[in-house]
Amino acid sequence: MSRKVIEVEGPKWVAQGIITTEQEQRLLALYPIDDKAIGLLPLLGSLLVLLSALSLIAANWQELPLLVRFGILLGSVAGSYVAGEYFRRRGNTQLGMGLVGLGLILFGTSIILTSQMFQLIGYDVTGLVAWGVAGVGLTYLYRSRLLFVMTVAIGGIVQGYNTEALGAFSYATAVFTALTLGYYWWRYPDALLGAVLATGLLWQAGLLIGVLHIKITWFFVAAMLIYTFGDWQADRPAGRALQGPPLVAAFLFVLGLAIFGEAGSYTDRLRPPLLAYLAALGVVLVLSLLGKKARGRLGSATDWLLLLPGFYLDAGLPLAVAALVVLYAYTGTLLWRAHQEQNPDRVTLGTVLFILTTAVAYFKLTWGFMDKSLFFLLGGILLLSLSWYLRRRAVQTTAPAAPPEKL
Amino acid sequence: MLVLPTPANRRLWLLLLVGAQLLFIVAVAAAGYATTAYGRTVQLRTAPVNPHDLLERDHLRLTYGITYLPLTLWQEANEPRRRQPVYVALRAQGDAYVAVRVYNQEPSALPPDQVILRGWVVGSSRRTLRLRYGLERYYAPENQVKVLNKKGPHALLVHVSIAPWGQARITKAEVL
Repeated sequence: MSRKVIEVEGPKWVAQGIITTEQEQRLLALYPIDDKAIGLLPLLGSLLVLLSALSLIAANWQELPLLVRFGILLGSVAGSYVAGEYFRRRGNTQLGMGLVGLGLILFGTSIILTSQMFQLIGYDVTGLVAWGVAGVGLTYLYRSRLLFVMTVAIGGIVQGYNTEALGAFSYATAVFTALTLGYYWWRYPDALLGAVLATGLLWQAGLLIGVLHIKITWFFVAAMLIYTFGDWQADRPAGRALQGPPLVAAFLFVLGLAIFGEAGSYTDRLRPPLLAYLAALGVVLVLSLLGKKARGRLGSATDWLLLLPGFYLDAGLPLAVAALVVLYAYTGTLLWRAHQEQNPDRVTLGTVLFILTTAVAYFKLTWGFMDKSLFFLLGGILLLSLSWYLRRRAVQTTAPAAPPEKL
Repeated sequence: MLVLPTPANRRLWLLLLVGAQLLFIVAVAAAGYATTAYGRTVQLRTAPVNPHDLLERDHLRLTYGITYLPLTLWQEANEPRRRQPVYVALRAQGDAYVAVRVYNQEPSALPPDQVILRGWVVGSSRRTLRLRYGLERYYAPENQVKVLNKKGPHALLVHVSIAPWGQARITKAEVL
């Protein structure tokens, strides 16, 4: 309940004799006026002044003497951090953290602009790795989710620049971000941070695959390794969130196989040496299952259905059908587990994925030989009835147990 | 157990962290001066540039004589791959340096009259190899850009310092 509700409804309640005027005042006192809104105008004002200064400096950057430019860079970095710490101590945490985050951005910008001032070319990313190190340090210092997310992004940017412009993968950056941010997430479990971290690490894994020119399916060994840490995490929501991005990637990949698998022109690129690939994936599977067992969540082992290496099958219809079977097995077990756990969110997710799979399967298997108007009509009816049935099941699952005589 | 910041030593950690960042920026600048002081200077001739092509307010876009090289300078077993880092051996010829060979690994021994400049493969065709050195943009104040940008097609001579530890920077550019 918010203050606004009491302010609007309070007088009516008093008039109806539900509460007294004194009680209304006491209720209002429970919800003090939010002072954030008051701070908004000066904030916007200073933002505009800041932007004006920024555009002035940017327009004349090359004309300014070197020392002045350098002073501006150092001063803005130090100034942001000091201002951030100042506001934080005065209790204005959000503004404070925003300024600390600005300081971190300015630090990276300063490294780049200083190199540019001296026309300096680096052949490795030492300078930018320092940016990531600073981000990690600040994240631990402030225990801030904002800084954590920013550091994941910085790691991704540094790695992206490194592979794109310098043609090399920085293992230091990858290992450093994975270890430090991973340890942070492990110690202070958080769902949002888990999802962000997993996404950032998947991005770096993808870049590594690209640089090494190896079969893209190796990506899933890395992805499932990230997934496995979610199994061992004691905090269930945080672990599940970390597992989200790898599962999304695996699901999209199998969906892609189901849709385009017939073409076959690129299936060669998907096939690593069978034994090596299965061995690597098998090791990760065992680690994952051990984690699930230790935390009593063996039921979620069905996630691994998505990793069935159907792409070793001959390209063509068998591959597409195998991919569809995998998708049905996965979404079916997802729905079944969601009903068992009576988890409405996952019932919804399972429903959406199940309908999506059905749509793909229907499109795939009947598009070729059906009159198009009939195709769309039947497809529509199929999906509508399926969604009606799944929704009914969902309502039954999540509804509170009804008294027997009403059934 | 890692030594994590505690409320008691937070302030110290903050000072250390911010101080280290400021020092790092200073170190980047110092690396710039050191590259000039300890580096070996080579002169690179740019391709004749049409003023309209390089008309920018605060920087020049440069194409060097060593941007396009004959593929015969590449004597490695593998084909050059896009974005691959390469090591270009340069030797003085007249008032500028020219490329004598392109390596995919840093060569361990080199004749004393040669110097290595690092670059990246942009692409290759049957006869030529196109490289990028990171020196393709020269940032300068507007009046200097105007001087270098005089009328008519002309080439520039760009002075590049290459530090023994591998960093490089443009120190000067003049009209030929």
